[in-house]
Amino acid sequence: MNKQTPRLLFIGIILLWSIYTLFPTFKFNFLSDEEKNDLRVDGKLESLQEKVLKQGLDLQGGMHILLEIDIPTLIENLATNKNTKFYTTLNFTKENYNLNQNFIDEFIRQSESDKLKLNRYFSEISSNGLTIKQTLEKERDDALNRVLEILQNRVDEFGVSEPTIQKQGDQRIIVELAGIQDPARARSLLQSTALLEFSLLKDGSITQNLISRIDKILKGNSDLIDIVNNINEESDNAELNESKTSNDQEVSMTELFSSFNNDTLISSDSSNGVIIDQDIFQERPFSSLLRNTGNDMGVPEKNLFAIKKIIQMEEIQTSLENEASKISFSKEKETWTLPEGGTESFYKMYHLESNKGLSGGLIQEAKASFYNGQPIVSLSMNSEGAKIWSRLTGANIGKRLAIVLDNNVRMAPTIRSKISDGQTQVEGFANMEEAKDIAIVLRAGALPAPVNIIEERTIGPSLGKDSIEKGTRSVIIGLILILVFMIFYYRGSGFIASTGLIFNLILVLSILSMLDATLTLPGIAGLILTVGMAVDANVIIFERIREELEKGKKSKSAVESGFSRAITTIIDANVTTILAALILYQFGSGPIKGFAIVLCCGILTSMFTAIFTSKTIFNIITNNKNLKSLSI
Amino acid sequence: MKLIRKTNFDFLGSQKFGFVISSSFILAGIISLALRGGPVLGIDFTGGTIVQIQMESSPDVSELRSSLDELNIGISEVQTFGSSNEIIIRIKDSYKSEDISSILTDVFSQKFPNEKIEFRRFEAVGPKIGSELQGKALISIIFAIIGILIYISIRFEVSFAIGAISALVHDVLITLGIFSILGYEISLPIIAAFLTIVGYSLNDTIVVFDRIRENLKKIKSDENISIFNQSINESLSRTVITSLTTFIVVFILYLSGGEVIKYFAFAMIIGVMVGTYSSIYIASPVVLLWQKKFNTQN
Repeated sequence: MNKQTPRLLFIGIILLWSIYTLFPTFKFNFLSDEEKNDLRVDGKLESLQEKVLKQGLDLQGGMHILLEIDIPTLIENLATNKNTKFYTTLNFTKENYNLNQNFIDEFIRQSESDKLKLNRYFSEISSNGLTIKQTLEKERDDALNRVLEILQNRVDEFGVSEPTIQKQGDQRIIVELAGIQDPARARSLLQSTALLEFSLLKDGSITQNLISRIDKILKGNSDLIDIVNNINEESDNAELNESKTSNDQEVSMTELFSSFNNDTLISSDSSNGVIIDQDIFQERPFSSLLRNTGNDMGVPEKNLFAIKKIIQMEEIQTSLENEASKISFSKEKETWTLPEGGTESFYKMYHLESNKGLSGGLIQEAKASFYNGQPIVSLSMNSEGAKIWSRLTGANIGKRLAIVLDNNVRMAPTIRSKISDGQTQVEGFANMEEAKDIAIVLRAGALPAPVNIIEERTIGPSLGKDSIEKGTRSVIIGLILILVFMIFYYRGSGFIASTGLIFNLILVLSILSMLDATLTLPGIAGLILTVGMAVDANVIIFERIREELEKGKKSKSAVESGFSRAITTIIDANVTTILAALILYQFGSGPIKGFAIVLCCGILTSMFTAIFTSKTIFNIITNNKNLKSLSI
Repeated sequence: MKLIRKTNFDFLGSQKFGFVISSSFILAGIISLALRGGPVLGIDFTGGTIVQIQMESSPDVSELRSSLDELNIGISEVQTFGSSNEIIIRIKDSYKSEDISSILTDVFSQKFPNEKIEFRRFEAVGPKIGSELQGKALISIIFAIIGILIYISIRFEVSFAIGAISALVHDVLITLGIFSILGYEISLPIIAAFLTIVGYSLNDTIVVFDRIRENLKKIKSDENISIFNQSINESLSRTVITSLTTFIVVFILYLSGGEVIKYFAFAMIIGVMVGTYSSIYIASPVVLLWQKKFNTQN
């Protein structure tokens, strides 16, 4: 057995692993649109997409937006008794602070140097300077959380596959929307105020009637079959937000599940298609798509688009309007254990009064706290709100009231008693986190400060495509030229280096894919640069070996000392470049980060391929007793 | 095959030549920077808007410019970008991300009613973000330099660190100067290119230093200068070949990488050339000078 076998084995494993990691990316890129569609219907596209090397917004097209809460306006809104002196200080701070500083700190510092007594303006908060500062900071954090909540709530409306919404620092939010079709709409959606409403749920019997009516309308409607069958293709771009019904008794569990597992499903693949019971479907097409989940109607995740599509139908819209009602769904999906085992995700469906009971702007405060050991949310209203609230709660004791943010139902508690002063307690949370989330939702209706877009970068999909084409072409031409040069200049050894180079390129890409890193246009430039610089380690080694050979050493010892001497040089030389790349990573935003990460990976892998892979091949060659001279 | 046979150039004897060349380049750059009042900064650093539009036909750019000027939205530049049907519009002083795209859509659909117009790129950066990035870019370059200074001081000695830093400051200054002379903008990718040049320049320098370190141990000689010279000559072959391969790839990137990446590639081309030169003519002479002056050598 050869001494090099373990090394070869190691290289083989790494190579196989790289190819395995990159395979989904290759596969995905060679799929035609039709094949992609087929996979989508089977529900396999998403899992494939997750494994594909991600492309940055500059390559696939998309929108990058940096939002900032207007802190000066927030401070202004919180202050009372404002006079010229106050505005002078506020405006001065606004013009002179830079964004690396904290605006609140700067404002307080400035007011100290202006001898502005803050407790005069924030007497409602406190007379203590420290408390005022803490309160302002709390308000800022709160505003940020609320905006975050609003944005996350609206994400679905952008119709993009993987939206990113994240906090950056104390007062900013990054939103990234890949492949966005309508930047103007996205922009206005991001900046518009959230719509928070309280709407009464329709009585169970009314809802039940509605469902039967929809069933009747649909029965014998041949379009329905098409709707359900086409749903998988349409579910992607469907942007339906209106709709639907709920009912407590109409569909019984046994009815729905009795024939669940036989061959009555419309979809060819029962695990991925719309779930329908064919028998019930004939008689009550609409009910067959629903589940009874206790108090509310449930819509299995897979049926959601079918349901939304049905509700969009004109006849049904008219029917809803006739009784001044609308259908909304829950924001979060829940999971439920099926009687025959396994789980299913579903959304709740609510049948609401279309006239809102109260709009969220009238809420003054919403706080999560503990009461008798239970998490609760306490609400207070302004006087106008309290008046409407008193009437609403008084007339509807025992009914349920949905809290609706941007048309998504967040919860639907029951009204226990008439509340005349606006001081309201909401209970029934599973834990404190849930209560806090609802408190944020309840405060989202009245945002204390505007949100500004301070940076926007939108790249059209065609430009991204051009960039990919040109970038790939550059990488290929560069690679070929380098390979030709190396083989021409170093002969057999150049060939070894060339294999190393190709291996290196595969390795970098697979590491990027594994790290879930994003390939950007500067990243492609980094790839090309890696090709150029990866040669360097080989050149250093080869030149050393040549020197050693010139000194009269035998091939084997020349290779040994060539490698061992070159290694310190290679490490020293590359550590500094890695240092520069790491700093670049820290400093950079999206595209630049992509470049830094490629550079880092490229340097590391090129060291590996030059020092380890090439060495192994050299060992095999020099171990050959028949070797006359080294081709270098 | 060998490009470079055993050489024995007196690089350090001709260091005056090197210093003259370098200082004239740096001086030219500094004069240009002074005349322009600093480097030409892109919207990443100043704030502003860039809109890239692709049309079916090639419009008359000067006519387009004058009709856009009438809008009075602070248009600073209208030019073709890459091909003649691709237009880039730069808007400097105002920042109205929401409005500008709709204004431009109106103008273009009125002016070219029968054409399909595609907004390919829209970038708008607020002025405060710009100045913030300026600070960040500067800080990151300074941190890079400090980190490198420490690393080389540990691995070699202080004089070598000074030599390496001089070489890379030299490289960045010359590249910055050439950008200023040509009127090219400094954008975020260019800063990335600068930091890569920093890394590349060091890479080159350290390979030479490594050989010097090795030879200093091996050869007992009073004349450091001859050891330095010998080391540069010994590693010359590697220096030239690596520079050549790196040059090839960045040159191809410059030619076929597309408009957006072109200036990045250009910075790298300058960086590779200057970096190779400085590792020979700047880094080692500065080490010698420092050692002579502060007598750090035992």
